[in-house]
Amino acid sequence: MKKVLTSLEEAAKFIQDGDLVTFGGATFHRAPMEFVRELVRQGRKDLNLVDREPAMDFDLLIGAGCVAKVRTGMLAFEIFGMAPNFRKKSESGEITTKEGACQPIIAGFRAAAMGLPSLPVKGMLGSDLLEISEVIGSQKLMKDPFTGETMIAVRAIQPDVVVIHAQKGDEYGNVRIEGPFYEDVIKAKAAKRLVVTVEELIPNSQIRKKPEATTLPHFLVDAVVETPGGAYPCSCFNYYDVDYDHIKKYLKAAAEGRFEDYLDEQVYKRKRT
Amino acid sequence: MKEEIEISDLMIYAMASQIQNFDTVLHGVSSPLPILAMSVARKTHAPDMAYISGAEGVDPDLDRIYPSSFDVRLNRNAVAYFGLHEAFDLAQRGELNVMFLGAAQIDRHGNTNLSVIGDIDRPKVQLPGGAASAFLMPITPKVVIWVTRHSSRVFVEEVDFVTGQGYNTRPEECKKNELVVISNLGVMNFKNPGRVMQIQSYHPGHDVDEIKEKTGFDLLVAPDVSVTPVPGPEVIQLIRTIDPDDVRRTEFG
Repeated sequence: MKKVLTSLEEAAKFIQDGDLVTFGGATFHRAPMEFVRELVRQGRKDLNLVDREPAMDFDLLIGAGCVAKVRTGMLAFEIFGMAPNFRKKSESGEITTKEGACQPIIAGFRAAAMGLPSLPVKGMLGSDLLEISEVIGSQKLMKDPFTGETMIAVRAIQPDVVVIHAQKGDEYGNVRIEGPFYEDVIKAKAAKRLVVTVEELIPNSQIRKKPEATTLPHFLVDAVVETPGGAYPCSCFNYYDVDYDHIKKYLKAAAEGRFEDYLDEQVYKRKRT
Repeated sequence: MKEEIEISDLMIYAMASQIQNFDTVLHGVSSPLPILAMSVARKTHAPDMAYISGAEGVDPDLDRIYPSSFDVRLNRNAVAYFGLHEAFDLAQRGELNVMFLGAAQIDRHGNTNLSVIGDIDRPKVQLPGGAASAFLMPITPKVVIWVTRHSSRVFVEEVDFVTGQGYNTRPEECKKNELVVISNLGVMNFKNPGRVMQIQSYHPGHDVDEIKEKTGFDLLVAPDVSVTPVPGPEVIQLIRTIDPDDVRRTEFG
């Protein structure tokens, strides 16, 4: 085992301009928000983002000008409404949006995790989404060689970097996720490189006492950063709930044309952890 | 307390009625009404249903809902976690019985649009995206579409983009399942030879003419059209207990 503990600043450098990136969590839950804020502070550009149901993590990067392309099943702020920067920049053509659907996106991660070039899924037939994805080459019709059943082959999605925020980990990168996993384990295995920010650093001896609690063993993990509050304002199970008021403030700032002020206050001037 | 039955109560009750005992049901993102409908079904006529939360908890002891349908507190006292990819495996096996989905536009054949208004490459309005719609609509035995604002802008002659497949865009083998549309005015289904939308029931205070008038295509009327059943006081009380902050009302704007 090699020590992979590093700083947020160094870990963010794993991501290069133009990289294909996904994050752990789903909507407002366990998104690696402090890492996202660090990417904004470092001025990353032209990111190619993919996930099934992201929310503020993607919208913040889009609003800060870090993104060129987005592929999601749904990108919104749940009942609060549309993701404001996503909507604006997709309509103005500043970003390229290629909508997917949840299952094919997950299947793409699964294929990469299994070392396969593609994985078939059911459903999808008849949707216009299939046509646009055939154009970009992410999904194609196929016939099962045994039964002749028509299915959709989804091309593997192997992100250059996956970033996950977890509850606990040691300095070698043995990581514990508590509560719902979402597709984090699949994404971790699909990644070329994996960065994990954790609420709490725990000793390796503690990890060894309960190996069944380890979600990601060290050899999958390229960097660990101790980042308390690393999902804020999203939730981190067993540590804190979503700060819905903060999310409303974000939306209000975007709606009133004060998104730059939000970035100043909440990202650039925010103390690095 | 208000004696009057609210439209959200009526819709939730109609949605809950679509679930049968022993069904396996999943709710997705941004889904206060489906969560409440699943909770009502489980506490009334479907005590043995399997409830899979979008927050990943199975059969949680739901005491209240939150603005996020993935809020981890929705998993309170769950018996297990079951990830979305696992629920999707279940759907591919044909074992996810009921799914609730949304629509920004829907047409007479049941095609839904959650993607864009205008052209996909140059959208006039970028919509949030269909999430699981295109995957689940053709393969789930029963799909319930809920619409809180029934108007000719939502019920359109032709959707701008087919996100979720209606009966005319599906392959032959995917035409057997059931599609139900529950709006703030009535309940619609496709139980006729042409598999086009028809009014099955109208909510109290509304009628067939009003629904037809607020629909952008020629809506059929089921021969046995009737008034939508009204929830009893215990159901209404249950809804208010689980949703003390009126999260459900945000959907009605």
